[in-house]
Parts: sequence; C-alpha cells; structure tokens
Amino acid sequence: MKASLSTTCIIDLNNPKKYMSYVSAAGFGSMMLDLGMLYAKSDFEDYGTKNSKCNVTELCKQYDQLIEQSLKHSIQIDSMRMPQLKWDTKREDLNGLLLQIGEKCIKACSRLGCHYIIVQPLFSGIMKADRYQENYRYCLKLGEVAKENNVYILLENQCDNINGHLIRGMCSDVSAASGLIDEINRKLNSEVAGFCLNTEVCSLCGQDMGEMAAELGNKLKAVLVKERDGIHETGRLPETSGSNKKWLKMIRGLRKIEYDGMLIMDAGKTLLEFSHLLRSQMYPVIKSVTDFFCWQIEMERHLKKYSNRVLFGAGKMCQNYMEYYGKNYPPLFVCDNNPQLWGTKVCGLHIKSPEALQKLPKDCGVIICNVFYKEIAEQLKVMGIKNIGSFNDEYLPEFADLDKL
Amino acid sequence: MLRLGVQTNNVIEDNCPQDGFALLKRAGFSCADFSLNGYLKNTDVYKSDINQFFSRSVQDLEAFFGSHKQGAAEEGILISQMHMPYPIYVPGGDKELNDYLREVVAPKSMALCSFFQCPYIVIHSYKLALYLGSERREWEQTEQFLDTILPMAKEMGITICIENLYDSVGGHLVEGPCCNAVKAAERIDRINDKYHAEILGFCFDTGHANLIGVDFENFITILGHRLKVLHIHDNDGRQDLHQIPFTFTATRENKSSTDWDGFIRGLRNIQFDGVLSFETAPVLNAFPEGMKETVLGFIAQIGKYFAEQING
Repeated sequence: MKASLSTTCIIDLNNPKKYMSYVSAAGFGSMMLDLGMLYAKSDFEDYGTKNSKCNVTELCKQYDQLIEQSLKHSIQIDSMRMPQLKWDTKREDLNGLLLQIGEKCIKACSRLGCHYIIVQPLFSGIMKADRYQENYRYCLKLGEVAKENNVYILLENQCDNINGHLIRGMCSDVSAASGLIDEINRKLNSEVAGFCLNTEVCSLCGQDMGEMAAELGNKLKAVLVKERDGIHETGRLPETSGSNKKWLKMIRGLRKIEYDGMLIMDAGKTLLEFSHLLRSQMYPVIKSVTDFFCWQIEMERHLKKYSNRVLFGAGKMCQNYMEYYGKNYPPLFVCDNNPQLWGTKVCGLHIKSPEALQKLPKDCGVIICNVFYKEIAEQLKVMGIKNIGSFNDEYLPEFADLDKL
Repeated sequence: MLRLGVQTNNVIEDNCPQDGFALLKRAGFSCADFSLNGYLKNTDVYKSDINQFFSRSVQDLEAFFGSHKQGAAEEGILISQMHMPYPIYVPGGDKELNDYLREVVAPKSMALCSFFQCPYIVIHSYKLALYLGSERREWEQTEQFLDTILPMAKEMGITICIENLYDSVGGHLVEGPCCNAVKAAERIDRINDKYHAEILGFCFDTGHANLIGVDFENFITILGHRLKVLHIHDNDGRQDLHQIPFTFTATRENKSSTDWDGFIRGLRNIQFDGVLSFETAPVLNAFPEGMKETVLGFIAQIGKYFAEQING
C-alpha cells in the first residue's frame, strides 16, 4: 500500500516551498495533486462571467511552482484529483468543460509520471435515470485519453444535495459503480477505470465502508481519508473528531480485500485551524496517523509474510491474536520477559524466555503482541533478530462468536 | 385513493381503546399501526428490565386486547400493520433474556397479530455487523430467527416485514441492517420461494433512511412489490426524531431537507397500493394534549397530499 498526502496540506500556494519542506521532513514521499485547490467548487459557479477564474489552459500551468518544489523535495506526485462541482451547483452547462479539463489533466498526469486521476462523475443537469449512461459515455471519452497516456481514471463516490441535506449521490452505490467500471473497461479492452473511495462522503451518507470495500475488491485503487462529523464536509485529520471506533469498518474491509492501493490523507482543514506558527508541528502528526492506518490495514499481510512465527508477549493481545488469527497463522510458541510465566502456557502455547528466540528457523518472524512495541523491537534487534513484526488488537475482524456475546 | 394510517401509541389508551380509535377516525385515518412494542419498551429491553406482560398466556393476552380489537372494528379502523417489540436479541444480554425475547415475545406477537387479523408485522433484524464483522453474518443470524417464526406466519397468513435500520458507531449514525435494497429484495424472494408463500416483505422507514442519506426513490423502486408497509416520519438527518413530514429545513431557503419528492416518485414507480402509515407518535408528546386531534388531522392531511401525488 502506498501512503500519500493531499496537496490541500500545502496551504499557501504562493509559498509552497515552506510547506513542501514540512511534508518532506515528516517523511511523506508522495502527494496527490488536488486541482480543487486552484478551482474551488464555488469558482465553477462563475464560469463564463467576468468574475470567472476558470481558464482551462492555465489550469495545469499554475501548479508548476508546486510541482517544481515537490521534485526538489523528492516528493512524487502519484495521483491527481480533478476540480469538482458543488453538490448543489446551479450550473447545468459545465459537463463539456469538465470533459475538457479532464482530458487536459490526464495529459498532465502523464507528463508528471503519475498514473491515477480521480474524477467526479457527472450529475448536474442530468436526470437521475440517465446518469449511468451519461457517465458511461463521459468515462469512455476520458478513458480513451487515459489509455493512450497510461493513466487510470478513478471514479469518486458523491453526495446529492437535497436542500442542504446530503444524501447518497452518483457512485455511492458501489454495486452500480462497480458495474459501470466493468462496462468501461470491457469497452476499452483495458483496465483503465477504477474507484476512489472518499471516506468523508461515506460518512456523510452513513455508509458502511467495510462492505463497500468488500464489494469493490480490486477495483478500489485509492482511498481518500478525511475525518468528518457526519453532517458537514469538514476534511479534517482522522482521529480528531469523535470516537476512533468509526474507522473500524473501513479498516476491517480494507484488510479483508488485502488492499494494496493508495491511502491518501487529507488534513488541509485541520492545518488551517492551527496558527501558522504551529503548523510545522502538525505534519509529523499527520504522518503518524497515516502510518497507523497503513499498519492497521496491512496487519494481516504482515502476519502472512512469514512461514513461521513466534509471539512476543503473553497477555491479552496474545490471547486476541490466538482467538482471531491463531488458526490461520499459528505461532510456534510465545515468549515473554516475565520469568514467572516461563514454563507455563497461554492458549495452549508454551511460554518461553526470549533466549529461545536465538534458535528460530530462518523464515520465522517474531510478532510483538505488547504495546511496548519500540522497546521490545530494540530488545530483539540487540539480540540480532531481523524478522520483527507487530500485532495490534484495536481493530479486530470481529468481536466474538454469537454464543459469547 | 391510498388508505391512511398512524401509530396507536400515544392515542389508544388500554382503559378505553375505542375512544382513541374514534379520534383516529375523526382525524381522517382508516388504518392503524398497532404499537405492540409499546408493551415491552426497547429502552427496558436493553437494560434487561423485562416486564411480565408477554408472560401471560396467549388467551390472556387476547382477552386483554379484546376491547382494542372491538373498539377498532366499531370505529371502522383496520389494524393494517403491527410492530413487534424490539430488539429481539440483545448483544451481550443474558441467555435467559434473549431466549425469552425469541421464544416467548416473538411467537406471542405473531399470535396477537393473527388475533387482530393484521396482515403485516414489522420486526427489527439483529444488529450484529459490528460484532460479527460483516453484514452477511449478521443477516444469517436474523434469518435463523426468522426461520423460527416464518412457519407461524405462513399458517396465520401474515407477512413479516423487515425494516431498514440505522446503527450508532462511536456516536455517529451509520447504516444498520436491511439498508441494501438489492440484498433485501434477493433475500425476500429467496425466503418466499423456500416457503412457497409471501411471508416476508419490507417496511420502508423514511426517517431511518433519511438519517443515512438513502436515495428514497432508488431504494423504493428496487424493492418494488416487496414493499408492503411504511413508517413515514421526518427528522433533521441527525437524530431519529419521528416528526411530521416537511418539518425540517437545512438552509435559509427553508425548503424541506428530506427528499419527499423522491419518496412520492418511488411509490409512484412501484404503484404502491398499501397504507400510507405514519410513525409519528412522538409528535403527540411535542404538542399540547389539547391539540392532539388537530395534529392528527394535520398528519392525515399530509397523508392525503401524498396519496394524491402518488396516484398522479
């Protein structure tokens, strides 16, 4: 899985150098270029009037400085997100313009060496019953250009606006979206189209992201992660609003499909809420949250990569490992630093001293099952152990059998 | 013209049910959604605080509801649908509690539905996706429960209706059981085929759908003929308030923030010919007691508007 940061986190386009250095220092190696920063949703409302800021020719040029800075900081632009219309737009005449922008963006993607462009499906001025067919035609046109330029087009789930109340819009029904993607790819005889799951939209529409991910399977190429309050578009850093339990279903779903696409973090609004004097300190926090999500999503894949494994830590986390993963990834034994546990058993497994780790088979991983990850990893490294993994039971695939509830 | 109904809760009093049915009649309703769930409240069930109402024999329960049945008949009100007490399974609840809900409350509710000659009973499916890790496994548990009452439904000529529900995860409302119309339709068809009878249908709850941004028209259209009963009510999109349709707005333009046009289109698409039933009992708590008849009359007027729009 590839972690990425949205360029909405470069909050001053006139001075990208400073913010790009923060992004780089925090450890991000790639970014998603969000063209909505340049053409905000509201800007489209003025298109064709003297107040209009929209100029398709200039669109990509204006990012030159940003792109130049990203290259200087060895940050790759790995995806691009097209400008989007407001969900309550009054303009019903801009679908042709969006196609024009889309074609130009795809070519820009190709020049930048980025392979994904995230596209808002068409909805404005189209009767609901006709939206599928209109988007099929739209995506075919974009898809032909994308195919020539070796770029994927990723459809993004949308809301509809009913007098201020956001409901499920185009591509929110992933079963229908999946069908649309299949049809486009079949027609173009190439895997050109895929899906980008916008977590904020899922939240606003109360959708189960786990079920959505399972339905999409390998059509899911990007997850745009934004925190939300479930009522408004907020675009905040995850874990900064309400209980972190709400990410459980997303993590479960992505784990289940062994997700290997992009995880794009968008925390632009959170950064804006902080004083500019504090912002530099936020980037490492954003990186930590991103790493945490990647770790949780890839948990099972890490367990799978070893043909044998030993668990380090004989506590509750070890018991949860055994209950939920023990059958598929059985450990050889458990070790623990507490001498009083040596020689006893947990979940039917012998508990041994860490000394026993010296005699492990070559392909065996030591999986830390204790929240003192860093300290134990250090201990293992000192012992010369290289295959170190870590398990965590915060987001388990299920909680219990029905009989145990 | 489509018939109009409303919940009996907050209208029908056990000591003189006929007065309440007469009130419904005067307000403009011809049908009632019998609130059997009012006799074993969900808030009490979740606290394992179970009263002994359903511990009575079926004969005693029928005797208790005799005056209700008679009162409805005398006022010409049809008990067109009924709500089974819920939840029917409490995650983490005692085995004794869950056995009681499944083995006593559910079958006695079916018997009472039959006693009232009510064609539809609405149930809440098990809310277990968070615990079991998938909606599919959650549904398997609901289906196991359904298999205990579906034979009764077949024998009694009742259609059990599953309802779209929401769940709360970390304080945020998200989709719960039966929020995927395609899956619901497939399951209803499969089960009805298995039992060779139309014993499973759907209850579309507008308030629950609104909380999780469901596209009303699309959902109703997919359900088609499987949609048997309605729970019509409104909310602000944040809390399950069970208020009068068209009450809530979200912008200064002050247009309804609930997609009632989509609701009408959906019912028109499927040529719905059931009862436009309102689940708006909490409204009667909000208004002064003295306005009850006026408020019920207003709700019925909204029903008439819906009926006219749906019939085109």
